Amino acid sequence: MKYVARVEVRLKPGHTDPEGETTREALVELKYNVKSVRVSKVYEIVFEADSVNDAKNIVEEMCKRLLANPVKDDYRYYVEEAHKP
Amino acid sequence: MKINEVRVCIIRVGGTNCDAETRRAFKDLGVKTSIHHLNELSSKRNLLDYHILVFPGGFSYGDYIRAGAILAKTILSRIGGEIRSFVDEGRPILGICNGFQILVEAGLLPGLNGISDYPEAALATNIPIGYRCMWVYLKHEGKSNCASTWLIPEKRILRMPVAHAEGRFLLSDEKVLDRLLDNGQVILRYCNERGEYAEGRFPENPNGSLYDIAGICNPDGTVFGLMPHPERAYYGWQLPDWTRMGRPPKYGDGKLIFESVVKYVAKKF
Amino acid sequence: MKQIYIKRCVPFDLYEVNLLDASNEELMKISEDMGLALNLEEMQSIKTYFTNKRRNPTDVELQAIGQTWSEHCFHKTFKGIVVLPDGGKIDSLFKAFIAKVTRALNMPWCISVFADNAGIVHLEGEYGIAVKVETHNHPSAIEPFGGAATGVGGVIRDILGVWADPVACTDVLGFGPLDYDYAKLPPGIKHPKYIFRGVVAGIGHYGNNMGIPTVNGAIYFDESYVGNVVVYCGCVGVLPISKYVKRARAGDHLVLAGGRTGRDGIHGVTFASLELTEKSEEVSRPAVQIANPIEEEKLKRAIISVRDLGLASSITDLGGGGLSSAIGETAHKFSCGAYVELDKVALKYPDIAPWEIYISESQERMLLTVPEENLDRVLEICRDEDVEAASIGRLTDNGVLRIFYRGFNVAEVDISFLFSPPKSYKTAMFVKPRLKEPIFEEPRGLTDPLLKILSSPNVASKESVVRTYDHEVKGNTVLKPFCGKNNGPSDAAVIKPLDNSWRGIVISCGMNPRYGKIDAYWMAASAIDEAIRNNVAVGGRRIALLDNFVWGNPEKPDRMGSLVRACMACYRFAKGFGTPFISGKDSLYNESPLGPVTPTLLITAVGIVPDIRRIVSMDLKEPGNLLYIVGRTYAELGGSEYYRLMGLLGKNVPKVRLKEAQRSMMTITRAINRGYIRACHDLSEGGLGVAAAEMAIASGLGLEIFLEKVPRADEVYRNDYIMFSESNSRFLVEVPEKYRDKFETTAKGAFYALIGRVRSEKSFVVYGLDGRPVIETDVDALMNAWKSPLIRG
Repeated sequence: MKYVARVEVRLKPGHTDPEGETTREALVELKYNVKSVRVSKVYEIVFEADSVNDAKNIVEEMCKRLLANPVKDDYRYYVEEAHKP
Repeated sequence: MKINEVRVCIIRVGGTNCDAETRRAFKDLGVKTSIHHLNELSSKRNLLDYHILVFPGGFSYGDYIRAGAILAKTILSRIGGEIRSFVDEGRPILGICNGFQILVEAGLLPGLNGISDYPEAALATNIPIGYRCMWVYLKHEGKSNCASTWLIPEKRILRMPVAHAEGRFLLSDEKVLDRLLDNGQVILRYCNERGEYAEGRFPENPNGSLYDIAGICNPDGTVFGLMPHPERAYYGWQLPDWTRMGRPPKYGDGKLIFESVVKYVAKKF
Repeated sequence: MKQIYIKRCVPFDLYEVNLLDASNEELMKISEDMGLALNLEEMQSIKTYFTNKRRNPTDVELQAIGQTWSEHCFHKTFKGIVVLPDGGKIDSLFKAFIAKVTRALNMPWCISVFADNAGIVHLEGEYGIAVKVETHNHPSAIEPFGGAATGVGGVIRDILGVWADPVACTDVLGFGPLDYDYAKLPPGIKHPKYIFRGVVAGIGHYGNNMGIPTVNGAIYFDESYVGNVVVYCGCVGVLPISKYVKRARAGDHLVLAGGRTGRDGIHGVTFASLELTEKSEEVSRPAVQIANPIEEEKLKRAIISVRDLGLASSITDLGGGGLSSAIGETAHKFSCGAYVELDKVALKYPDIAPWEIYISESQERMLLTVPEENLDRVLEICRDEDVEAASIGRLTDNGVLRIFYRGFNVAEVDISFLFSPPKSYKTAMFVKPRLKEPIFEEPRGLTDPLLKILSSPNVASKESVVRTYDHEVKGNTVLKPFCGKNNGPSDAAVIKPLDNSWRGIVISCGMNPRYGKIDAYWMAASAIDEAIRNNVAVGGRRIALLDNFVWGNPEKPDRMGSLVRACMACYRFAKGFGTPFISGKDSLYNESPLGPVTPTLLITAVGIVPDIRRIVSMDLKEPGNLLYIVGRTYAELGGSEYYRLMGLLGKNVPKVRLKEAQRSMMTITRAINRGYIRACHDLSEGGLGVAAAEMAIASGLGLEIFLEKVPRADEVYRNDYIMFSESNSRFLVEVPEKYRDKFETTAKGAFYALIGRVRSEKSFVVYGLDGRPVIETDVDALMNAWKSPLIRG
């Protein structure tokens, strides 16, 4: 079965996010009343798995092994069956 | 063994870009040094034919995901066994800039309990944000027998350039830092011209690193990574202000790193 | 109703274009519809060609011709005919002025000039230096990050295109004022801050990722750049001359290597030949190319390996016009034809029409010609570097370009026709702007004006930008962008490219857009003088020049007139200095709803220094040392920073007096050779005042200067003129007391004078013509003025 996962990786709460802060400053300069910006990275991954559970396990492993660094990153993901267009 | 019997392997993949000047430094010391693409290393060569493995600077695989992350995982999946043997046998590994990021992402540094499955440290986005190319002062903590710095006197101030956007050394908590300190794994710290620690202040600490950390080694002292570029401070004419001296000195502080690791091998093997 | 576009009965998108029945009006409509940017005469000439062939062209053929004939690829304006106001004609500005210098000088160290992707001069022994500078203005105006990044990527490929290994990059940028009023921005034009941020990031991204140090450059701010951002990207490479192989023959494979082909940058070329309009953003988006520096890094490795093994018979880059230009030019150059199978081109996604594949400007691609027997080895080298490569056709001996797609012949054009577009005729008119030299009283003290000039965006420190570029990767940067204790601005960069030699390459530039508002002739002369004197100031000699014009619409006679004048100056002064042009590029049609770009000529100077251990930096070295000025000061404040401070332009633009200039430069070169000079800085924006201040800032040492001693023309009777005049060919040098006599003997024949000393403390004092101080300040105040305006987007 084909599955698609949307994985979002971002800094753990409490970690300084210089990219978010710089973006916030830029938005404020454009006169938006922005309080905070947090930047995250989203991966859309299409892959094969036997079941939804299997798919989730695989994604969990992907996050741990490569997509996130546990020292600073949090991650979350949604997995669903890929529909053919 | 004799110096000229020491064999250095510099590894590269797409995006590695400091390999040639790193080789030049080793060659100047009379060491047999070759640069190998990971494709070549994993198919046609044996890592254990070398005594020193070097991860040079650059943007391996574009530094996508996180700096160094992709090469770290790729190399472990391709030649993880050889890497483990290399480390187990106490052969030194040196990671410079992107190489340091790779060693951290690969779990080789800090390596508190051997090679870890997941990173135990991070080299995060600089604070202040941005890529920055500048010279910094470093203090050699010198409490350990780090293979790549053992020739440098304790508390010696070194000068080298940094050039990176992700060099802010991070640990998951303070306790880990204590363990690093207890083990003597903190080797280089950012300081000012007079050797006073940067205490997190920019520009002396160029990236906001925890505890002004610029370079660490594993508990055995064989694996060493640093953000600054010793290969860009190898010769005197690479110094930013040598013209003030009239003529350039022959060498810069970077030479000490290369000399240390080469002599370590010559002594040990 | 007659149909213009007729779909061919093939299993993909292919159209026949009904040129044969087209009226003039329809011809122009076709040119516009298809984004060809060809004029009527050109369309008619294509029509005649196909009428003789008794058939209509396909879209592939028309697009290929459109690309080849575009301003960007063919340089119609520089190669065309210019009609002067007196009826006289110039046949090719390029031949009549630029190339003529090189031919007349006939320097033995020029190895390849104007003939290839980059100019090549001798370095040492078997090594040569390749240099190229490009502009990427239009793409950067639309998408600053991608535009600037691909500008860097493109010029690096030019260097690879002559088999050279890139060793350094340069970048010179022109932006509108960063504090420009948002309300004044016309629709479709982005704010200078936004453009600045993107361009700076894009340049850093590409150079840093590829691991090529960005060592020299400049940033200018000018109102005329609000609508016309200026992005010059340069690259210097080194090659073993014996490996400069260009001898392709019929039968050789056409190997396309590097990134995959997509719809990126389709019509980028023709787009660069049109003025930017409000609609540009909307219609031109696809013209923006996407940069992938890591792809190019891998490609570079593969190419250098192929070079070292001598496996290919020639090489060229894919830039403007994509495959169309690369294949066409290769076939043309070696008097061949070409047979191309577009199916063999690796695509990013399916269903790209053949014409799109043929003209796509997807980045990071190179075309090699490879003899049959070496093909497998070349493909293997690429594979080892994780680079995709394939043979997509061959050179043939019939002089015809034949393109196939899925077995169908989609184009068949004679190479000779492809490279003989109708000559362009353009009219020049010389318009003198009505300007006056302002009259105002001399300010009582000059400390305040000096501090203000130091803080002005064109003079203030650009460290916040330059540090985001890696200028040290490769570990060969001997003189970096900043020098001294406090990061003073170096006049030129010096790199040491060979491990076993002390010889260095000296890279500098000159550009004076403000003078272009007064007179393009003296603007060009000043740019040449500035580039050369920056080079000379650190010890450079045997200098070669590159010219890069950024101009308005050449179809407007006044723009053409100023272009002619600038070219005349290029001939006179480059020849006079003995500095041949070896490469160049023009970017025309820089116009926006806010008007034309200020005529801007960037001159890049590439010199050598026999031993890098003798170079001189601009920071003062030792208290007590003597300060000499070399060169003569005239009342030339037209276009100066001093006038700008007062909101004035003026009229007396700095001129170049060849004899005096040569004597000044010769003095510096000889004195550096003999080791008499400890510090040297050229006098440019802000004149003597800024040069002295920068030297003091860089070192942290103060100084004293006596204006009354400065050699000057009779009309210079005011302190502010002496301090801030921007007369060319001048240097401020630091000489130890012990070399006093020797230096003065060396300087004989030039205008020079001992005007002051380096102090042991930080005070910075300038004594006026009456002997009383006109400036009394200290290094900290100067440094604060120079460093505090953070130039950032």
